[in-house]
Formats: sequence, structure tokens, C-alpha cells
Amino acid sequence: MNPTTEGWTVGGIEVELLRGGSGKPALLLHGFQTIGPNAPFLSELAKHCGYFAPSLPGFGASKRPKDFDTIYDLVRHTLDLIEGIASDQVTLMGFSFGGWLAAEAAVMRPAKLERLILVDPVGIRISDRETRDILDIFNVRPDVVRDKTFYNAKRFAPDFDVMSDAELVTYARNRESLCLYTWNPLLYNPQLKTWLRRINVPTLVLWGAYDGIVSPNYGRTYAELIPGARFELIDNAGHQPEIEQPDDFVAHVASFMSRG
Amino acid sequence: MRAFYGCEVTYPFVPQEVLDAANSVRASLPNRYCDPKIAADLYHETLDEYLVADDVGLNVMATEHHAGINSLIGSNPTFVGIIARQTRKARILSLGTLISLRKDPVRIAEEYAMIDVISRGRLEIGLVKSGGSEMASNNANPMQNEDRLWEGIDLICKALSHREGPFSWEGKHFTHRHVNIWPGPYQQPMPKLWAATGDPHSTAECGRRGIINTLVLRGPEGTKKAWDSYKRARREAGLPAPTRDMFGYAAMVYVGQTDEEGMRIGSKILWFLNTSLKTAPQMSKFLPGSAPPEAAPQIYRSKPRPAAISDARNRRTAPRAEEGTTKSASQNAAALISITPEQAVAQGILFAGNPDTVYRQIMEFQRKAGAFGNLNIIGRSGFLTHREAVEGIKMFAREVLPRLADSNRAVCDVGE
Repeated sequence: MNPTTEGWTVGGIEVELLRGGSGKPALLLHGFQTIGPNAPFLSELAKHCGYFAPSLPGFGASKRPKDFDTIYDLVRHTLDLIEGIASDQVTLMGFSFGGWLAAEAAVMRPAKLERLILVDPVGIRISDRETRDILDIFNVRPDVVRDKTFYNAKRFAPDFDVMSDAELVTYARNRESLCLYTWNPLLYNPQLKTWLRRINVPTLVLWGAYDGIVSPNYGRTYAELIPGARFELIDNAGHQPEIEQPDDFVAHVASFMSRG
Repeated sequence: MRAFYGCEVTYPFVPQEVLDAANSVRASLPNRYCDPKIAADLYHETLDEYLVADDVGLNVMATEHHAGINSLIGSNPTFVGIIARQTRKARILSLGTLISLRKDPVRIAEEYAMIDVISRGRLEIGLVKSGGSEMASNNANPMQNEDRLWEGIDLICKALSHREGPFSWEGKHFTHRHVNIWPGPYQQPMPKLWAATGDPHSTAECGRRGIINTLVLRGPEGTKKAWDSYKRARREAGLPAPTRDMFGYAAMVYVGQTDEEGMRIGSKILWFLNTSLKTAPQMSKFLPGSAPPEAAPQIYRSKPRPAAISDARNRRTAPRAEEGTTKSASQNAAALISITPEQAVAQGILFAGNPDTVYRQIMEFQRKAGAFGNLNIIGRSGFLTHREAVEGIKMFAREVLPRLADSNRAVCDVGE
């Protein structure tokens, strides 16, 4: 089944929504870039859940309301999105930047949250003050960022020369919004690490074995900070295992979602 | 016309092979390539040039740039504070400390008030927002940069002009519960404000606020566009039409005995463009906020798409994008990096030659762009020597400034 794109208004904010599949609902929070409707992992995922993949305010075609410009806003918006799904139980799946938001939201124990899946999330700092955990994606040469993002960049990195004007405009706008929300401290909340212990739902932390944005070791620590969380590696993948290894990725997700 | 001499205190002594190998000559070059002993000489020479300018009737100005060969003035108020004490008559333009990079505008107001008092009321304050590699150098978010600039200006102005004890500020970007600077400025209610900006949105805001608008190396077309926006904004706000005192233009200027000498020495200033603008792509064209997302197709693609080429053919008569809009700062920089001396003269970026030639170039610029009452002289850069700079300052003051300062004649020539 092909995904559909529609508008979704929660808490007075309208966002662009990609929707597909059926069954248990899963809210997908995108990473640095929005999830493309043709991403192969979506059709596989649709066999296991009914997914809701909104473009967060400022990303994709979603407008950013005035004065909506902090992680604080995005986390509360995430809570609204969970409540906006007509089901008693929701699985929350966050990728990279969206993984950070998902972890922040889960710390607040939303009533309907059933499971949490974090895919190469950012959001915490674990090393000493002079060692970066997260690649400075705004301050490192673009070709280096590209190579660190993918295990096989040649095959999977976006090709700006073939993307349409509209796709490039969205790509640049997504970067602007990401920058606005996350510039300083870059891509983490110094307070979050302390509070991850509050997460009280079954949690899977998935990591691309060759992630050069945030390393698998960072991922292991992340998982250890969440009570009972599972940590699983996906081989031959970088920061976006859902793009580079869609079948393997969905297999991990499906196995986790079918556990009692 | 008022003329302000300025030198950015560039550092041209890094080996060329190091510069060639570097991704960026700003923000990222290790400071082991900057010898503090040479830097000390450069600071002293520049301060001496300001003293010469003061003696011969020029005003002075100082800019601020961070962490690169393009300027060693990382802290404008520090430098301007020295100038305030050492000069005697000159107006002193701080152009300026970079407002949107700094976390506390109240501290900026405090520094400027001190400088104005030390100079006994000779300070003029230039408001500059910054961008590019300086965002990394100062850890400043390139998004909402302009919003921070204007709120910062509002807070600085209130801090400088408020006389009634502590006030509180709870803005979007800045909060301060207890603002009460000592001393307040020497000039009442506060020093004149300038802004160096070329984008029509900012220039319109300058117009509404009555801030002197100077354009840096924008050429007559871009300058005219900015000033038209300034004038229109005032008209639409029901404010009186601006006088030419409200406009400034910053160009590279060198006056020699002959055209040959003026061009030979003046061309050395182009080092600033040819060598010191090289900036890593992540700090320039790919930096969020440096250009609107709509410009992404031109910025991100390494070559035009086949479809885009045929689109362009189909609308051959339509204006090209750069003709219809004002260039972003990074686009402007990219166009300047490979400029030749002849092109720089033709584009109104370099005024150089004998006194007659330089006078004619400045008047010609005004005919195209509109009359301006302030000339900001970028007088020394790169390998132009201190001795040459001093000669140029004296020649300009003796042979060109009197003719520009003859306001009746100047206005008549421009046809204001």
C-alpha cells in the first residue's frame, strides 16, 4: 500500500503527515531530514503497523508557528501528536534528531505510550568536555558529513544534481530548522541523560554499526541509561539504517513489536 | 563629505602554500601561523595611521572580524578604546562590534559609553550583524541572526539613553533584570548610529530608524537598490526624506601622485578580496540562514539539471535570478574573490589613481548610486605598507577631501 500525504492538526498546529499500513499505530519522528514517501522501509514497515510520519514544524511542508523555535516546543508538540492518534496505545519511533525528541517525550511518561524505538538517536552527551560525541554537522565539510552519515554513501547519499528544485528547497529548509532548534548545545540536552531513567516502557535502541555521526558505543551507553532497554546493531549501515538496510531494520522493529 | 580612514589590520604573512592547502583562511587556520610580534607591529602601525588621519583632518573607523587573516581586530571596542584616547579631533566610527554574535547587549552599551566618554563625545556606533565563518568562531546560531541584531540594537539604545536608574528587559532573545550603565555616553542622548548592510529588508529598517546606512563594496547598482529601499521605507512611514548625511559608502581608496602609482599601490588592497575571503563551504554557502531555501537549487547543485537548462531556454527573455534579487553576502563574496584591479575600479569597489581620477570616480559613483555624505575608506590591506598607507592618507586629505568637502560643488556635480 502506498503512503498517503495529508494535513494533520494537533494542538492548533497543522503538520504534513505521511501515513500508511494498518494495525498497531506507530508515530515516526524524522531525523535531520523528513522521511521520503518512497523510502523502501516504509512499505515493509506498513506490514507490521499503521504508521504516522509527520513533518515536524519547520520541516517538509509544515509551517513553523511564530515563537515555536525550541526543543521545548517540539517535545510538547510530540506529546500532542501521541495524544492525537486515536488509539489507547502508541509506539513511538524516533530517528536521529527525532530519536532525541522521542526520548525526551518518553521521559515525561505519556499515558498512551506503549513502546519506544530509538534509531541512532542524538540528544545526550556522555564524553568529557573536550570530546565531541556528535559530529558537528554544521561545521564540518559537507563531503565529510556525507561519508560519515552512510556506510555506502555512493549508493545512498542524496544526489543534489538529480534532486528536483522542490526537493532541494525542502532539504535546505529542513537544515535551517534543524539549525534553529539544535545549534547550541549542538544536538543534545545536557539535562536529558539524568532523566532517561524515568522511561518506563519497553525500549529498543537500534544502531547502524558504521554510524559516523554518533558511534555505536554512544548508543550502548544510551541504552544502558534506559531501564531494561535492548540495544541492537544493524550491520552494513551508518546513521540511517532504515535507509541502507530497510529489510534488516524492519525485521528488528517487527521482532520487538511482536514481543509480549 | 566626511571621510573615515580604516584599516582592518590584515595578516598577510602566512605562507601561500598554507593558504592554498587550507579549506578556509578564516575561523580554522591554527593561530601558530600568526606571530604575535608581527601582530603587535601591525596594531601599532595602524594606530599610527589613525593619528596621521586625525592630524590631517580625516575621521577614523575600525571594523571587527574574527579568527582569520582578514583582520586581527577581534574585539572592536578594545581597539576603538585606544583610538579614543590617542586621537584628538577625529570622529571615531566603530563599524562595529558584531551585535548578533554577542550574548549581552548591555555589555556592548557599557563599552561604547566608556569609549564615548574617553573620546569626549567623538564616537559613532556602527551596528553590524555578522555571518559566515564568524558564526562558528563565536558559537552564534546563524538562524534568527537578524532578529537578534534588532533586539540587541533596541536594548543597546535604551541602555545608552536611559537616565532614570535600573530598568528591566525581558525580550525574545535577551533578558536582563537590572540595566543601569555607568557612565552613560558623553553625547546626549546618545552617539549617532550606523549600520553596514546591503539587504533591502535591513536597509528599510535603517531608514525607519534614521540609522546611517553604509554599503560595503556593493558597487553602484546594489547600493542604489539599498538606498532606494531606505528612502521608500521613510516615505511609507511618513518620515522626512533622508539627507545624504544618512548614507555612506565603503570602498578601497588609494590616492597616488600619478594614476600609475595610485593603481599600483591601491591594487594591493584587493588582497582582502583575492586572498582573505576564502571560506569553507559549510561556513558560507551551506551555512543555514546565509541564503533563503529557495536559492538551494543554485547552491547545492554542482551543475545545472538537464531539465533546468531547458527551462532556462524556454524563458530566455526572463531576467536572471541575480538580476531580480539582491545577492546574499556569501554570493557577493564569491563574486569578489577573483576580481581584478580594473574590474574593481569599473565596479565602484576601488577608487584609485591620481587625485583628479579618484575625485572623478567618487563623483561618478554618486551619479549612479545617489549622493552620500560619508566615505568609508578601506585604505590598507595585505601587503600595502604602513609608509604607503600614510602617504595615501596625506594625499587624500590634501588633494581630494577639500573638493569633496566643498558641499555646494559636490552636490552640484552629483545633481542632488
